[in-house]
Amino acid sequence: MNSAKPGLKHIMSAPWIWAYLAAFVVWLATVLFTGGQGSIQILSAALSFATFSVIVGIGQMYVITLGPGNVDLSIPATMTFAGAVSMKIMDTQDAMIVPGLLIAIGCGAAVGIFNYGLIRALRIPPIIATLSSSFLVQSAAIAYGRGIKIKPPPILADFTTWRIFDIPVLAICVIALAAVMSVVLHRTVFGRSVTAIGQNQRAAALAGIPVDFIRFATYVQSAVFAGLCGYLLSGFSGGASLNMGAEYLLASIAVVVIGGTSVAGGHSNVPGLWGAALFMFLLVTMLNTYGLTAGYRLILTGLIIVTVITLAGGRKQE
Amino acid sequence: MDISKLVCLAAATAISVVGTVQVSVADTSDKKIALSNNYAGNSWRQAMLKSWTKNGEAAVADGVVAAADAFTTAENQVTEQAAQIQNLILQGYDAIVINAASPDALNGAVKEACDAGITVVSFDGIVTEPCAWRIAVDFKQMGKEEVIYLAKHLPDGGNLLEIRGLAGVFVDDEISAGIHEGVAENPQFKIVGSVHGDWAQDVSQKAVAGILPSLPEIAAVVTQGGDGYGAAQAFKAAGRPTPLIIMGNRQDELKWWKEQKDANGYETMSVSIAPGVSTLAFWVAQQILDGAKVPKDLTVPFLRVDQGDLEEKLAGTEVGGVANVEYSLDDAKQVIMGK
Repeated sequence: MNSAKPGLKHIMSAPWIWAYLAAFVVWLATVLFTGGQGSIQILSAALSFATFSVIVGIGQMYVITLGPGNVDLSIPATMTFAGAVSMKIMDTQDAMIVPGLLIAIGCGAAVGIFNYGLIRALRIPPIIATLSSSFLVQSAAIAYGRGIKIKPPPILADFTTWRIFDIPVLAICVIALAAVMSVVLHRTVFGRSVTAIGQNQRAAALAGIPVDFIRFATYVQSAVFAGLCGYLLSGFSGGASLNMGAEYLLASIAVVVIGGTSVAGGHSNVPGLWGAALFMFLLVTMLNTYGLTAGYRLILTGLIIVTVITLAGGRKQE
Repeated sequence: MDISKLVCLAAATAISVVGTVQVSVADTSDKKIALSNNYAGNSWRQAMLKSWTKNGEAAVADGVVAAADAFTTAENQVTEQAAQIQNLILQGYDAIVINAASPDALNGAVKEACDAGITVVSFDGIVTEPCAWRIAVDFKQMGKEEVIYLAKHLPDGGNLLEIRGLAGVFVDDEISAGIHEGVAENPQFKIVGSVHGDWAQDVSQKAVAGILPSLPEIAAVVTQGGDGYGAAQAFKAAGRPTPLIIMGNRQDELKWWKEQKDANGYETMSVSIAPGVSTLAFWVAQQILDGAKVPKDLTVPFLRVDQGDLEEKLAGTEVGGVANVEYSLDDAKQVIMGK
């Protein structure tokens, strides 16, 4: 990272700029098509929904930064589980909002500890470990909730959908969360250890970094963010349903990669998450607005994502 | 024909009818029926499994069949379900009731089961293999009925927003085809936007919130079930007037409808298939095992909720669940006779 050189050239060389550029182009293409109608509302909706991708994206980004083979595939199941358990325990009572939040976070932490137990104690590769634990967690959510959707407490629902001048308040909170996690990544021992492990695990171990503990904490952190996201999404969309996490498996990985974080680990960046999450939402909105059929929509989604990743990746190698 | 002969005939018929009923219980009491289900990850499927278990346990307790076990694959994969069906053949079930992951990819495994002398009844997700029975839903008609309702309630027509299901699935294509056919016959309506909501409330909410700002005024939203409440949330969040949204029998949809009805006389309708269709499939399989002549293609009725019976249906639906009907042996006989 060449942080001493300010100016446009420096900004253009940042890997995350491409995600924002892509989001802007897609937004412009939508607005031109509608003749300017709804331009602000589209952005407002994009902010609302990108929020949830960013929350799980932060956790996933730390995990991916740990290096090749590290990924958390249990995010959707954890979201569903934490959402179902917290909604059921809160039982629509406003007084239970804080205990409910703690329970959702606790559910996430439990899944994270279990995940790393499989990875470390049983020496199962993370992809397999988190995938298989996601079956267990999803089954637990089904057994616990029996497919029943429980409404969130009214104050939680109001908070998660609260807007001031078209700006979703939850999005502002998560922008702040992303800023904090960016500082944690770049300025704390924990964050720097994660990056060091991703660049060279052996060198990191020899330098005295407690590799096991850092990896453990990273997997737990990812599951905790998934639990938090499940809690907030349940509030936002009127209850926890069994398939509510389904789209966040791909989304959590896509926002990390499109956002300019290296899939090989060791290099990550937080601002890109927001750009990528906005881009992903606006892309679907654009294709829906153009009225294309599902087949073309999927083909174009794939092509555009590949193009953006190639552009972002191409810049980095220079 | 004189009176005494007629009485004789009536008596004989009565005896034979009674005889059949007794035999039917005896005939299938040692038979084992299995449910092969491809997916359990949403509230509709959970209710479907629950209905199967409840009905099956009662049937086993009454001695109608020896077993009514349910098996669900974890990953909604065709290969996995094919392997599952092969296992069920080896385990010696007499009938396999299938909710299939694919209409044609399981045909090989289904044929193997038929060749082993097993009765195969598919429902909801049906299979095309000719040796199997199909309990299908006329999804196209379901889509069309939505537009017919709209034509009656919005005589002036207007713009429609269509929420579709999961792209690439047969059911989605059928319902959508029915809706488009209805719109073609009622040119006062125009579909101005179409999004995929995957039959999930949160996905629909997201898709509708995205497209809504670019759309003109919407008179009504046509849906496929599980997406109506999400659409209502998206309209509310965008600060737009709530259009007529067709609902899909989920409890949260019915409850929202009831709240609107009480507040401002909101009118709509709700239509879907009852998850209890699994119990209909069970009884059809039992009847086939019993030797009844059953046509290969049967049609299940929709479960429709209208303004008049909303309160009654809502009261009978579990909080967070789906409006349901469980079918009895008599219902199955009615369906078999084509009524």
